[in-house]
Amino acid sequence: MKKRVRLDGLVWLILGIGLCIGSVRLKLGDFRTPGPGFMPFLSGVLLGIFGLILSFPTTFARLEEGEEAKNEEPSVAWNWKKLVNPFLALLILFLYILLLEPLGFIFTTFICMLFLFKLSEPKKWLIPLILSVSTSILSYLVFSVWLRCQFPRGLIKFW
Amino acid sequence: MSGFFENLALGCQVAFSAANLLYCFVGVFIGTLIGVLPGIGPVGTISMLLPVTFGINPTSAIIMLAGIYYGAQYGGSTSSILVNIPGEVTSVITCLDGYQMARQGRAGPALGMAAFGSFIAGTIGTIILMFVAQPLSAIGVKFGPPEYFSLIILALTLLSYLAHGSAVKAIIMAILGIGLSQIGIDVVTGRVRFTFGIIDLEDGLGLAPVFMGLFGVGEVLVNLEESLNIEVFKAKIKGLLPNLRDWKESIGAIIRGTFLGFFLGVLPGGGAIISTFVSYALEKKLSKRPEKFGTGVIEGVAGPESANNAASSGAFIPLFVLGLPSNAITALFLGALIIHGVHPGPFLINKHPEIFWGTIMSMYIGNVLLLVLNLPLIGLWVKVLKIPYKILFPFLLLLCIIGSYSINTSKFDVLIMLIFGIIGYLFKKFNYEPAPLVMAFVLGPILENSLRQSLLISGGSMLIFLTKPISAACLIIALLILISPILLRKIRRMRAKIG
Repeated sequence: MKKRVRLDGLVWLILGIGLCIGSVRLKLGDFRTPGPGFMPFLSGVLLGIFGLILSFPTTFARLEEGEEAKNEEPSVAWNWKKLVNPFLALLILFLYILLLEPLGFIFTTFICMLFLFKLSEPKKWLIPLILSVSTSILSYLVFSVWLRCQFPRGLIKFW
Repeated sequence: MSGFFENLALGCQVAFSAANLLYCFVGVFIGTLIGVLPGIGPVGTISMLLPVTFGINPTSAIIMLAGIYYGAQYGGSTSSILVNIPGEVTSVITCLDGYQMARQGRAGPALGMAAFGSFIAGTIGTIILMFVAQPLSAIGVKFGPPEYFSLIILALTLLSYLAHGSAVKAIIMAILGIGLSQIGIDVVTGRVRFTFGIIDLEDGLGLAPVFMGLFGVGEVLVNLEESLNIEVFKAKIKGLLPNLRDWKESIGAIIRGTFLGFFLGVLPGGGAIISTFVSYALEKKLSKRPEKFGTGVIEGVAGPESANNAASSGAFIPLFVLGLPSNAITALFLGALIIHGVHPGPFLINKHPEIFWGTIMSMYIGNVLLLVLNLPLIGLWVKVLKIPYKILFPFLLLLCIIGSYSINTSKFDVLIMLIFGIIGYLFKKFNYEPAPLVMAFVLGPILENSLRQSLLISGGSMLIFLTKPISAACLIIALLILISPILLRKIRRMRAKIG
């Protein structure tokens, strides 16, 4: 097995160091009167240590649960085509946050649901349209009218 | 003993009130629904519905959320048996024999036995919970800050050890959870920690947005990578009632599964999941025909399905006795109680008997309701299984958005939820389990407070954790668990040398 460095381990190591630095700034206090930075510092140190163990799996192999555990783990396969749908869905959700206040709940829900339904039915319009109209009205009735959640009204002022 | 019957009467009064019967029904109905549907679990659902419970009283909230929890254990078997896709992780093992039974035209008895087994286990589990929790909470009262600190350390260690895959990754998740729980104002000194100047973060990260992101949005994003085309078992389901031979073969498995499930469910971590695997292995070992396992043996369905239900009752023990959660779902219950101003701990049963006894009694009712929902109405759930994921996922995302927005009517919570959705997605891709993170996230503040209080009591000496017997025992067990892989390997190597 050749020596390799695992990047996710390094991420935790750096995060741990960051946590420690932040904690020192917050004041650690002492054992008698632990300050606000005491516990974060401890977690930072531990995060760094375990991040280090994870970063260099070959060096610290003895600490891990044997080789078989690692061999079983499939390496992360980045199939870029597969990432399109999750990425688009996220984009639509971020759009939802942006539009919610200016457009109001019903409109925003309608637009975003339409695009979400279109993700899986890119060629058809009718079914996504019906689904998104009914979803936005139904969710408004359930959450705003029945459960009395507060939503921004946006464009339509009369309801 | 008279107190016991008084409490029982109180529980009945609470659970049989019209409103709570309705909440119980809604809970078990939703539970079965999301149990049947693959790709959405009870953790995601309960966190989505958490904001909905803000408006109702804490007892009703727990009754409904608990219904979702044990209801999901019933529903999970349906999709395992009919489609060979587990509706819940706790029903993974049911696929092995359940689906084979369905292919041999015995889907009916498989579904029936799963439901009956779940019913028996759920009921016995509730009975044990009823009798054990109160005496145990008398012990819980003796727990001071050092005991809590060490117990949480033990719980998190056990959790990481029991997690699937790498223990180091699980420990990292737990530490990260503690770190995340410290964002916001420090209650002792009033100092603002790790908010990077963002005012919305001063109250800390919300429980619901974090859970919803990790378990709701994260899960959906992973599923969106694949086009989910599920083939539902076409044959008609007939003869749901298992015959006498089925019962003879299953009853032992059900009883063993119940006790196994209950006691493993008490342990922190994936008690329910592990209990299903242990139950399956145990039945295979005890069976006269172990070679038949995997080809459609009914006890291979009955045992694990009973175990996962009993485990969901057992998981309530640490919550009601110590105010500590044992898995992500009871962590949400803890959060729900705190939001309602109820302080969970050893005094909960005495201070709020209506919550404990009401929930217990509602669990009996819920199990009866579930038996009806899952046997005569099984056709409904088969139809539900036919809903394609492409129709389902936009609804799930919308529920996450509405759920996180309506907590504080704030866009910021939605943003947090989405960010944790991305994090949850990445965790899935890189094989990190979010369960230790959320447990630690909930336990973090309790851990920090107990550490600070212990050090105040001892005047700065860490020895306090070792001089108190319960605390010392917890820490020693935690240490043994941590070094057990290394020890085991040493022993194996020594044996190999000798042999």
